[in-house]
Amino acid sequence: MLFSESTVILGIETSCDETAAAVVMGGNDVLSSVVATQIDLHARYGGVVPEIASRAHVEAMNVVIRQAISQSGVPIERIDAVAATVGPGLIGALLVGVAAAKSVALVLDKPFIGVNHLEAHLYAALLDDPHVEFPMLVVLVSGGNTLFVEMRGHGDFSVIGQTIDDAAGEAFDKVARFLDLGHPGGPAIDRIALTGNPNAIDFPRAMLHDGLDVSFSGLKTSVINYVRKNPTVSTADVAASFQYAVVDVLAAKARKAAQQIGAKTVALGGGVAANSLLRSTMTTVCAESGWRLVLPSMSMCTDNAAMIASAGWYRLVADGPSSMDMGAMPNLKLT
Amino acid sequence: MGNAVGQIACVAFELVSIMIILSIDTATDGVSVAIADGTRVLASSEMRSEKQHAEVLTTMIDFVRKQAGVSFGDVGAVAVDIGPGLFTGMRVGIASAKAIAQVLDVPIIGATSLDILATAVGETDDVIACVIDARRGEVYWSLYRCIDGKLRQVTAPQASTVEECALQTIDRGQSTLFVGNGALRYRNEIELVVAGVLPRFDFADEMAALPTAVVLAQIAHERALRQEWQEADTLVPEYLRLPDAEINWATRSAS
Ligand SMILES: [Zn+2]
Repeated sequence: MLFSESTVILGIETSCDETAAAVVMGGNDVLSSVVATQIDLHARYGGVVPEIASRAHVEAMNVVIRQAISQSGVPIERIDAVAATVGPGLIGALLVGVAAAKSVALVLDKPFIGVNHLEAHLYAALLDDPHVEFPMLVVLVSGGNTLFVEMRGHGDFSVIGQTIDDAAGEAFDKVARFLDLGHPGGPAIDRIALTGNPNAIDFPRAMLHDGLDVSFSGLKTSVINYVRKNPTVSTADVAASFQYAVVDVLAAKARKAAQQIGAKTVALGGGVAANSLLRSTMTTVCAESGWRLVLPSMSMCTDNAAMIASAGWYRLVADGPSSMDMGAMPNLKLT
Repeated sequence: MGNAVGQIACVAFELVSIMIILSIDTATDGVSVAIADGTRVLASSEMRSEKQHAEVLTTMIDFVRKQAGVSFGDVGAVAVDIGPGLFTGMRVGIASAKAIAQVLDVPIIGATSLDILATAVGETDDVIACVIDARRGEVYWSLYRCIDGKLRQVTAPQASTVEECALQTIDRGQSTLFVGNGALRYRNEIELVVAGVLPRFDFADEMAALPTAVVLAQIAHERALRQEWQEADTLVPEYLRLPDAEINWATRSAS
């Protein structure tokens, strides 16, 4: 079978705490995208509990697929291939989506495509804006990752910088938990920071001048130490100053990385790409340097299955289907 | 008019009696798939596999279907072992079965791993104690008896220490057959409790230690005849144990 712009892919995503399914045509035309979030189930534990996530995926999977199919207007028999996240992620959670996706593909007698979740995040930005010029720098910032990725073309990329300890989103979550702002921490800090002074506290910018790697573990520790020493400090000022420090580092490294690869385009991806200060700062940075900035819509920043179907389409066209023997790969890297 | 209704009912019954059932079991260390038509097993495959459930299941289903010489369109219902068992492994089979039933638009029939072990034993006057290894020194178990040729579950399935399970068999005081990988693993512990107390006791051998899709297909056929089935969306696993985080949370909140 030949795969083309009219190839319709059912994407399935269950790597963490969102059960998602989507129908995408030709890699970029999102016909439907359904996400059932489990945020409420995990909130009281202050983080995602793998077994709770896996159980919730089993219960939600069928309904989510059903909705994605019906909202797409494409009958299930007209699906040309089924793509699912095979990693990285929580093993038990991944397996629910992989098992469901391979079964749908088997019964429909259509190809299965195992998708790298991180690669899918690279494609999330392109769903809203598919005709970008390469080379492109993708700044992928989420709860699990902080990666600077050079993308030379579809399926042709390399990681040129990353965090050596905590991911940016992880730092947001940990600081939010410490400040009692709830989970997930990103939106909570973003919200309260609007009322605070970002210059109130001069938190450290680690590794600002070395290479393209970043570190957020020390920043988190200095926030905690500062609040313990100054218990009456305004939470809004702490949040705003912390957020400013994170964004300052990310923007500086992004600028350096984009210069290094001679980027024509810069894209953001991952949950932290929804952060309002990061978006506005990157808008300024890119305008100054003449790079085109691709900002994914909020719904494409966080985990979804449209990006899985999209990345699946590019993989299918380039490499053909995956084996039906494929299982989950919880520690899959972006290579 | 009455005649026509009678004919329709008769046709419907005919359809169910030859219904082809795709049966899937991944709840324990075994992975097994069978296709049966109600009277015969058309094809089946089984393997021992600690962790590779997701890797082997899809191709095994495809293999068994081809061996059975049926197409997916011929399948009238999907049966699946809903546990208790190993959480991650059992979810592979359950998620697959639910997806297949949804795409084929056919009903799904869930049976517990304990039901499957008991059904495999067949007619007996003994109490059947089905005991599945739950790890961490615990077992999932339930007691069964054959009454008037029909298998009856006489205790609710539960997770407990193996001692608790053995003590419950003593409570009934009848000759008991212990079945399942939990019974074999904790054979010494069980013997220590029941020896000299139960009139007679025995352990089913290794061959009967795991639930299989072939036996599940038999259960599923009986249930299909009674239309005891459900939609894929509503089928949920039988874990018998909360996630650790929930247990810890409950303990912390109580203290
Ligand atoms: Zn993600």
